[in-house]
Formats: sequence, structure tokens, C-alpha cells
Amino acid sequence: MKRIGLNLRIMARAFEIELRQNMTDGFVLFGILIQPLIVAFMALWMLKGKGPDYAIFVVIGSGMTGLWTTLLFNGGNSITGERWTGTLEPLVASPASLRVVIYGKVLANVTQSLLSMIGSYFLISFAMGYPLTLTYPGLFFLSLVISVFSLVSFGLILASFFILIPDFARMVNTLEFPVYILCGFLFPIALLPGWTTPLSYLLSPYWAALALHGAAQGTLEPLQIVGTWGIMAFFSLVYILASGRLYRVILRKARRDATLDIVGN
Amino acid sequence: MDAITVNHLRRLYKSTDGIIKRTTKEVVAVEDVSFEIRQGELFGLLGPNGAGKTTSVKMLTTLLIPSGGSATILGLDVVKDANKVRPRIGFIFGGERGLYWRLSGLDNLRYFASLYYVDEATSKKRIPELLEIVGLKGREREKVEGYSRGMRQRLHIARALLHDPEVLFLDEPTMGLDPVGARELRTTVKNLQSANKTILLTTHYMFEADALCQRIAVINKGKIVALDTPEKLKENVQDLSVVEVELYGIPQEVIERIKALDFVVEVSIENRDQRQVMQVHTPKGPEAIPVLVEHLNGLRIGRIITREPTLEDAYVRLVGGAEQ
Repeated sequence: MKRIGLNLRIMARAFEIELRQNMTDGFVLFGILIQPLIVAFMALWMLKGKGPDYAIFVVIGSGMTGLWTTLLFNGGNSITGERWTGTLEPLVASPASLRVVIYGKVLANVTQSLLSMIGSYFLISFAMGYPLTLTYPGLFFLSLVISVFSLVSFGLILASFFILIPDFARMVNTLEFPVYILCGFLFPIALLPGWTTPLSYLLSPYWAALALHGAAQGTLEPLQIVGTWGIMAFFSLVYILASGRLYRVILRKARRDATLDIVGN
Repeated sequence: MDAITVNHLRRLYKSTDGIIKRTTKEVVAVEDVSFEIRQGELFGLLGPNGAGKTTSVKMLTTLLIPSGGSATILGLDVVKDANKVRPRIGFIFGGERGLYWRLSGLDNLRYFASLYYVDEATSKKRIPELLEIVGLKGREREKVEGYSRGMRQRLHIARALLHDPEVLFLDEPTMGLDPVGARELRTTVKNLQSANKTILLTTHYMFEADALCQRIAVINKGKIVALDTPEKLKENVQDLSVVEVELYGIPQEVIERIKALDFVVEVSIENRDQRQVMQVHTPKGPEAIPVLVEHLNGLRIGRIITREPTLEDAYVRLVGGAEQ
């Protein structure tokens, strides 16, 4: 019990440090505060006259794309950042679990991005007099919370590759659009070839998008929404359990191959 | 009980080349290193760049897995018991990296305290004490990016002491510091030893090792070539004198010719701005000067002096007289 408390404290401190660092980085601030405003404004301007149902689909879809991008770039790149500052070695050599530290960092990035995007959409839609109605507001917000934890758990797995491969930041570009498409962020996966469907089912962001779209537009029954939460919880549990073994193996390999102090390109 | 034991430690680095036909190259960073450090001892690991000092320290601080041999810290194996070793050691690597520059010194310390499971109450008491010890009191709320190199290095020391470790690894802590900053840091290190910490210090500054360390291991090309007290190491060269000749450009073939003289034990060249200082270790003392001048015929010669050997000369003799 004491161990859990100590780990929660480390996670909270990593969360705080990541937020504070982001707040002093002009590039990150632009990505968090200005870019979502521009995207929200453009999306809602283009949707003028298409009806509120379609608008909310695009609002959530583009929000999810932003979340995924944040997870991919800011979450993973926070490891690259640790390499650049030379703090990855002190982190690894400390008694704290690196998984716990990374969970806190990824959670900070996802939370920050999510809050900023929600704020942006409400602000712009209010300014443009555009209604954003949610069919099941309570289920929607619970779906949002569960989606965040599911995405952060997924991010934990993703970040491990940044530890193993110093140049992984260059490879993540190729993961951005396939996940947008496979997870149905911007259009339903029914439009994709049938063989891609099992791949979508294996990705927790797909279930997050399904739950959020379903709760917002009413395309899923409340019980079905709860079902997606169960699947997300299952995946999160699998990711977290798998990450224990994965981090042990990856850190051992990094210490054997001497890649902890290598700064990627 | 020894605080640190190192037995035949070895470390290889592998690098691969080529895309289709991949070739793997192995570089030996640490060939065979063995030593023991007593509890409360300030032990120096002295060697030129690339000798294997940092690699050795990284293996002892659990950041690298040895390719061979073994090491224990306070009786715990650095590979098998890495998780038990980590709370009991502190380390700093030379240079300015390893800190969050966009955060304040205080934020850095608070964060690392939590990573070392230092509870909130202890942290609140300990951080001001450490800031006082390292001379950063009053500057802790400033961002690290505004700190001087010496201040960052002192913050590193405070970070390494947050959890009051029994064993400290200081890897070239004065690297790049100005003379005043380096002297202050040496005083801090000396005080830490008075507090009964076991310290492994790596450096390539002879006077630093001489002034601080109780025993010194000289490492060269991944092997320990000498291990003794500074006084005993100096005794190895007591039979020799050092003739220093100031030159303004010296060809390699002249150096080789002087090295080949029967009364010359070792030759090293030290660059000082536009000049080179050739240091010739010889049992002949001032009597060697006329012969040396004869061999330097045609070169522009400055000052020539003869002096007693220092620890640096003992070190040069041990690691060979490569250009410094």
C-alpha cells in the first residue's frame, strides 16, 4: 500500500514537471493553445449548414486526431527530450520505476491537449453561434475519462520504443495517419476494406473513438457504450501488465547495448 | 568491509555498419579492471580521455551491464541487485547535462527527491541544507538555464546527495569549470569525505587527484596500470628529473629521435598556446640539457628548466608520453 502511495507521488510529480516544462516551451504552447483554435475554427467554418450531427462527429474526430498526435509526438518525444537534456540516465539509475515516471509524463501531455481542444471547440462554436449537442452528456464525459486512461496506457507501450531506439522519433511519422484511418477518427471504418477491421479492433483508440462518437451522437445504446469501456479497460490492463515485462526487457537491452546516453537524430 | 569491489570488469561496445552487408565491430572500452575501495575512502580513478573511466563508472552505477567480470557496491551485485544498489548510491557525470534547464534548481531537486522516495517532510528539510552546502542558497528559484557552469555542477552535487547515499561516484566533476569554481567544488568534495561518504572520483587532473584522493588507480586503455597512494606513485619517478624545454614547433621525427636517446625514459609534449613544452624524463638531470639542445638544432627554443618529478610525471610515465 505504501509502495502505491509512493508511486502515485512520483507520477504526480512527473505530471507536474512535464506540464511546467511544456508551459515554458513556445513551440509546445503553440501546439496546445493556438493550433487547436485554428483547427477548430476551420473545421466549424467548413461545416456551416451541414447540421449539428455532422458537426459533432467532426469535432470529436478531429479532437481524437489531435489526441493521437499528442500521444505520438509529445508523449514519445518526452523520452527523446530526456535524452537531449541528459536526464534519461539519472531517471533510469534512480530507484523509481521508469514506467511510473513515463505514465505521469504521457498523462500530462494527453490531459493538456484534451483540455485545450475541448476549450477551443466550445469557444469557437460559441463565437460562431454553432450548437454542439451531446446525446448522452454524462456517458460522453465518462467515455472521455476512460479514453484518456486507455490512450495513456497505450502511450506507455509506445514510449518504450523511444527508450530502445534513439531514432524512433523519425519513425513515428509513419504511425500518425494509419491510426487516424484505422480507428475511424474522421470517417467510419465500415468504409475500409474488411481485412482491416481486426486491426482496428486491436487498437484502443478505435474503441475510444467509438465510445465518444456513440455517446455524442446517440449512435450507440448506453449499454453498448459501457461495453466499449469494458474493452478499453481490458486493453489498458493488458498494456499495463505487458509494460512491466516490456520495460524490464527494454531497459536491460538498453543497458547492454549502451543506448541510454545516445541522442537520436 | 569494502564499500566497492571490482573484479576483472570488462566492457565491449559493438557497432554495426552497412545496410545490406552488415559488419559488426567490437571496441574494448574496459579490458580488465579490478580494485577495492574501503568504506569512507576517497578513491581516484585517473586516466587520459578514452581510458575507460566513464564506462567503469557507468557499470558501477548500474547504467551499463558489464560484458565480463563482476562488481559489488556495499556487498550488492551491480547487475543482479541493481534495484537495491540504486537507492544507496549517488552519482554525477561531468558537464552540464542531466538537469531540467527550463525549471528552477529547486524544482529539479524536488523532482529528483521524489524519484529517490525521499518523503515530503525530509525533502523540505534536506533541500535547504544541501543548497547551503553547495552554495546555491538564494538562487534556487532561478531557472537552471540562467546558472553558470559551476552552479550547474554544484546543483548536480546537491541532486546526488538528496537521498543521503553511502557511496558517491563523481565522474570528472570539475570538467570545464573555471579555477575558482573548480577549487570550490574540490572543497565540497573534501567535506563530503569528512562526512564519511565513500567516494570514487574520476579525473584527468593530476593535482586534483593528488590533493583529494587517499589512493589512486591509474587506468589506461581499459586496464589498471598502477594503484597506490599519491606519495607511493610519485616515488616511482623519484630517481628521475624532468627537463622542460619550451619550443615553437617541433617535428615528430625530432621527438622520435629524442625518445630513442639512451638516457631518456619518457617524452611528453604539452601544447601551451603557440608553444609546446617538451618534458623529458631522465636520470641525468641538468646534464642532459646540452645533448637535448644538440638534437633540437635549428628549432626555436625558449626557456629550459630542470625540476623534481610530480604525480603528473608519474602518470605520464605510466600511461606513455602521448601528446596531451
